[in-house]
Amino acid sequence: MSKTVDIKVHHVTRVEGHGNIRVRAKDGAIEKLEWQVPEAPRFFEAMVRGRKYEDIQTIVSRICGICSVTHSLAAIKAIERAMDTPVTDQTDRLRILAHYGEQLESHILHVGYLVAPDLLGQKSVVPVASSHPEVVQTVITLHRLGNTMMEVLTGRKTHPVRLVPGGFSMLPSAKELRALKQELVDSVPKLTALAEVIASLAGGIPSFTRETEYVALVNEPHYPFYHGQVGSTDISELASVQDFEDIVNEYVIPQSTAKWAKWHREAYMVGSLARFNLNAEFLAPLAKQTAAMLGLEKGCYNPYMNSVVQVVESVQVVERSIELIDEILTVGLRVERPDVKIRAGVGAAAVEAPRGILFHRYEFDDKGECVSANMTIPTNQNHGNIQKDFEALVPTIIDRPQDEIRQVMEMLVRAYDPCISCSTHYLDVEFV
Amino acid sequence: MTKKVLIGLGNLLMTDEGIGVRIIQELVRTHRISSDIEALDLGPGGLPVLHALDGVEHAIFVDCAFMGEEPGTLKRFRAEEAQTVKVQARQSAHEGDLFETLELAKRVGQCPSDIVVFGIQPGVVELGVDLSPTLEEQLPAYVDAVAAELNCAD
Repeated sequence: MSKTVDIKVHHVTRVEGHGNIRVRAKDGAIEKLEWQVPEAPRFFEAMVRGRKYEDIQTIVSRICGICSVTHSLAAIKAIERAMDTPVTDQTDRLRILAHYGEQLESHILHVGYLVAPDLLGQKSVVPVASSHPEVVQTVITLHRLGNTMMEVLTGRKTHPVRLVPGGFSMLPSAKELRALKQELVDSVPKLTALAEVIASLAGGIPSFTRETEYVALVNEPHYPFYHGQVGSTDISELASVQDFEDIVNEYVIPQSTAKWAKWHREAYMVGSLARFNLNAEFLAPLAKQTAAMLGLEKGCYNPYMNSVVQVVESVQVVERSIELIDEILTVGLRVERPDVKIRAGVGAAAVEAPRGILFHRYEFDDKGECVSANMTIPTNQNHGNIQKDFEALVPTIIDRPQDEIRQVMEMLVRAYDPCISCSTHYLDVEFV
Repeated sequence: MTKKVLIGLGNLLMTDEGIGVRIIQELVRTHRISSDIEALDLGPGGLPVLHALDGVEHAIFVDCAFMGEEPGTLKRFRAEEAQTVKVQARQSAHEGDLFETLELAKRVGQCPSDIVVFGIQPGVVELGVDLSPTLEEQLPAYVDAVAAELNCAD
């Protein structure tokens, strides 16, 4: 009997930004298979041109409601590079702590909101709150902890205000840091419980594998989110962040208005799985143990496991945050005034967003005004890899019912934890 | 514990989508807000909204809202007077719908009994840092309407 598969996942929302999935096949022969990204062209670079250096991080923090600390830090690091501004160990530690808060918040949100409902066979987190209230409560508690970390460190729950070039405009108190440490210590059993839930549902994770190039920061002997050079599983040496345009090699193709990226192959992957595949041996003890419990080993080529690595990284950032607070309090908090000497210059920086490596570059004139900017966000680096995954995955499942094919493909997209940059939260209502 | 929260939602880089945040920023700058009210700019919202509602009895939201009205129209309504028709792609954790967050809040037992929404019908939602002229012109009137709800002084 002849069988036709015709999948058109086209999201007609009021504001574009999501990808479309297109599959057409007849009797197992695939005629069309595309990951289409009709994202509106981005004008962030134009938004910062002409702005003073000290305003940049505030503007770019609004690019994304979830990775706002990451965008701020990428901008600040690039500005400090351009203006040759050193920062103290205290600034470094406090920034990393704020950044860990964002990793925790974002990973827990992704795993709780998008991955758990898939594994529990639900359409969204709302019904999960009734069927598995303890899971949702754990997710809410851990997410709130990530929020609290950002509030204590950056002055706000979202869109930081205290992160500035040269340091902090205001420091947290030792008392706040001690309270935060206690909350982090108390969260460990909850994280373990969440990891156990994910382990118990792991049978629902598709067993698809496709080796690709994995790209992330590398900073031995640390598991890096904030410092490091750019590593790839395809080469042994590290690449300089200052030359990031030679890494991302952005290009345009007809099926997408978002730019795609490639380095040593036709596509590469960034995100938790890439960080893990490059740095797994540097995980902290409990994170290592969690990875083993979840069956993860370095050299994992299943992109769906990206979400599982997020659970491991959640443990990692909590473990390291506890140590970091101890280090900060042992040295003692000192009042430091950010000191930036304005000069003309250019600088690039890379920071790991929860969903992968993020690059920013800025050039300033001698008044400290931005004359040019360039950003490459992690999700754009992953688009090409999603297409290549589709090309390897779909032929192996094309004989399944159409709805099942669509579901497996949608789960794959979700596993990459895509960032819809300039995300919106408008209401769309009718009155009853 | 604060029993009343005022929450502005939106993205300042998406023109009129940022109206909720702009109103809160203006209100805080031009009015004295009573100490029993916590005024929050929660950007694009999501789970941080749920956290902000914990222990709260009365919540007021200010947000860009497609309501089938003329651009610039402000409507004050109670949460139970409206239902969401928002289409979500569910591909990323970045999209959100306040009404879905409120439903989740209900199910986990932390939804305020009294929720008022100020919705402003956008003229333009696209990349850009400025409001459309229609909304920019009416910004002081929006701020006054929210201030009147809070009974706060200039």
